[in-house]
Amino acid sequence: MAMEAQGQGPNFSTRGASLFQAIRDNSAGATPYLFLLPCLVILGALLGVPLYKVVEYSLFDNVIIKPDPIFVGLDNYSNLLSDSGFWSALLNTGIFTIGSVLGHLVVGMSLAMMVNADIHPRARTIFRSLLILPWIFTAAVVALNWQLLLNPFGVINYWLGAAGIINEPLDWLGDANLAMWSLLLISTWRGYPFIMVSFLSGLQSVPRELYEAAEIDGANFFHKFWHVTVPQLKPVIYGVVLLDLIWTFQLFPLVWLTTGGGPGRVTEVLSTLTYRLAFVDFQFSQAATAAVSILVISAAFTILYLRNETRNK
Amino acid sequence: MSKKLIKAMAVAAIAMIPVQSFAQTKIEWLQWFAAEAGADTYNSLVSEFEAANPDIKIELVNQPFGKVRESIVTDHAIGISADVLGLNMPWTKEFLDIGILAPLDDYLGKADNGFSKDQLVQAPIGEIDGHTWMVPLTAFPFVLHTNMTLVKEAGFEHPPTNWDELKEYATAISKLGDGISGIGLPFSSQPPANGPILTLLPLLYAHGGHSMNGTTPDFDNPAVVETLQLLNDLNASGAAAPGAASRTGGVDVEEFVAGRTGFLISPAAHSANVRERGADFEYAMTRVPGDVNAYRVHGFELGISANSKHKDEAWKFISFLLGKQANAKVAHASASLPGNLEALADFNTDGDEVLAKQMDILSNDTPVEELRQAPKATASWSIMTEEIQAMLAGNQTPEATAAAVQARWLELIK
Repeated sequence: MAMEAQGQGPNFSTRGASLFQAIRDNSAGATPYLFLLPCLVILGALLGVPLYKVVEYSLFDNVIIKPDPIFVGLDNYSNLLSDSGFWSALLNTGIFTIGSVLGHLVVGMSLAMMVNADIHPRARTIFRSLLILPWIFTAAVVALNWQLLLNPFGVINYWLGAAGIINEPLDWLGDANLAMWSLLLISTWRGYPFIMVSFLSGLQSVPRELYEAAEIDGANFFHKFWHVTVPQLKPVIYGVVLLDLIWTFQLFPLVWLTTGGGPGRVTEVLSTLTYRLAFVDFQFSQAATAAVSILVISAAFTILYLRNETRNK
Repeated sequence: MSKKLIKAMAVAAIAMIPVQSFAQTKIEWLQWFAAEAGADTYNSLVSEFEAANPDIKIELVNQPFGKVRESIVTDHAIGISADVLGLNMPWTKEFLDIGILAPLDDYLGKADNGFSKDQLVQAPIGEIDGHTWMVPLTAFPFVLHTNMTLVKEAGFEHPPTNWDELKEYATAISKLGDGISGIGLPFSSQPPANGPILTLLPLLYAHGGHSMNGTTPDFDNPAVVETLQLLNDLNASGAAAPGAASRTGGVDVEEFVAGRTGFLISPAAHSANVRERGADFEYAMTRVPGDVNAYRVHGFELGISANSKHKDEAWKFISFLLGKQANAKVAHASASLPGNLEALADFNTDGDEVLAKQMDILSNDTPVEELRQAPKATASWSIMTEEIQAMLAGNQTPEATAAAVQARWLELIK
């Protein structure tokens, strides 16, 4: 950046042709590009090639399972859009994503405000450490633990029964009316620490004078929250919510390992549908098409996120 | 020793190193068997084979059961298949449709095999599309595991032998309270969602029924409907543990081992789990209750990848594993019976009643395995799972369930 400021470096906004020209001429201007080269090669190999192959697969029939796949153009997209299973999975994905992000937001923000309270530093450190724990567990561990907790003979049913709230044990993950709610509970538990940590750092940068001024004006807790905290955290909220939307939209292991998309298909989301099409049904072209649909929607969220980041700079 | 001689020896030694390493053929064996039980036995068998065949190096690739099918398909697609494949019979037809397996007919006809084809457990070697595609390393029947302590507490003296007794005993056990249930119905959607092949099919075969007609689904026949009705009755009467739609096969075994269910229908090999973990109850293994002595046969199978460049070496290793002594060791390690029945001579049950019962069932009853001929078998049992979940939730009758599975299965293979 310093080089650019002094007008000595290459203009990175110039077209790709200048890269090859600079390398061909072996000029000093090629040096930054050569430094970038390993990164570009790795990104190309790890990101570009798989991305290209998935899109390519979606345009062919019988990929992977036959040595001579046939080019079918957009037929797979047409099939996917006329498949009720896809629309059902898309709807479930929407419910799961929005529900999870709302859960993360509410729980994450509430806990961030609690651990930001003016209490003994050691107690604050302990609470912060404990509350961040769900984030460090792998999806498999989280899924297994919640399966045990939500089992008809698990602790949650026992507590609810002991409290007189239920008469018979509930099959939280196997009842079509409860499975999505249970999944949202698990997802909220797993995902709130990211929001909590992000908001905590945001809260610590809110000037105390604003709260003091609000208190002098007679503001209560909710007034201060809506008129001081939320406006001050707005850039953080927008950024982390978009990031959370991107991550949650394509979440696979937590759903697959807890409900497997069931019972029936009531918790089937796009990522589990993609896996099912590929490795259960062996319809790899159709799976690639479903994966492209996830890519397109995730890309839309990503563009929004990047625009937000650019605007904040 | 002169310097010249030393130099000559050094040159000769250097020259020999690459010759030896290039001459050694490396073959991979992808399987889940060692991950389940007896890893040391498999390692020692590999060492034993390598010592006898220094020109062949075996790489034992261990993966969990749920991962192996996926690995076989993806490895095949990108051309890096393992040479020897651990197989599950229901995968056969779907693997043939993709061209994953090599036919074994020529190898099975060889004179220098370490076994006789006639002595192999027959179910896996039956021809499909005119060829044999796999051989049995081990075999075990699906059986009824019984917690006799609970059965006696409920006022009965022996394991159930027919469906009426199963319903009566299971209902009585569930009434013992304290979280105890008669039987588990593992119909979770969680992968591999294999509840129907663990519970429904063994009961169906013991009822003298079938779910396929040759290679065509035939799921809406009266025997299937009657078996579905049995499951429905067990569920509705409270004889089955609550939560069938979230109960996996693994949980079902764990609940039985922990003494929380009276009965478990599963492979006989699970007797090892019960006994090795010192379950605190009187245990018995019997035939799955029904009208006929027929059992769903299961086992560890072996095949050769169609992409393998070392099929001859792969077969040499398979032939070794099916030899009497090696096969008996594998069978002991996995608490099952050898795929080569000649190995029974080396298979000492040591007065073990459970192993003796397995042998009795395997020797005298009729083995049934339909799914090896079923197109898209794995996807088909997902369909069964979903429709049975709907039935157990009270949303449809057994007749409607059977009809729905039949229609969806036919649509799947269209």
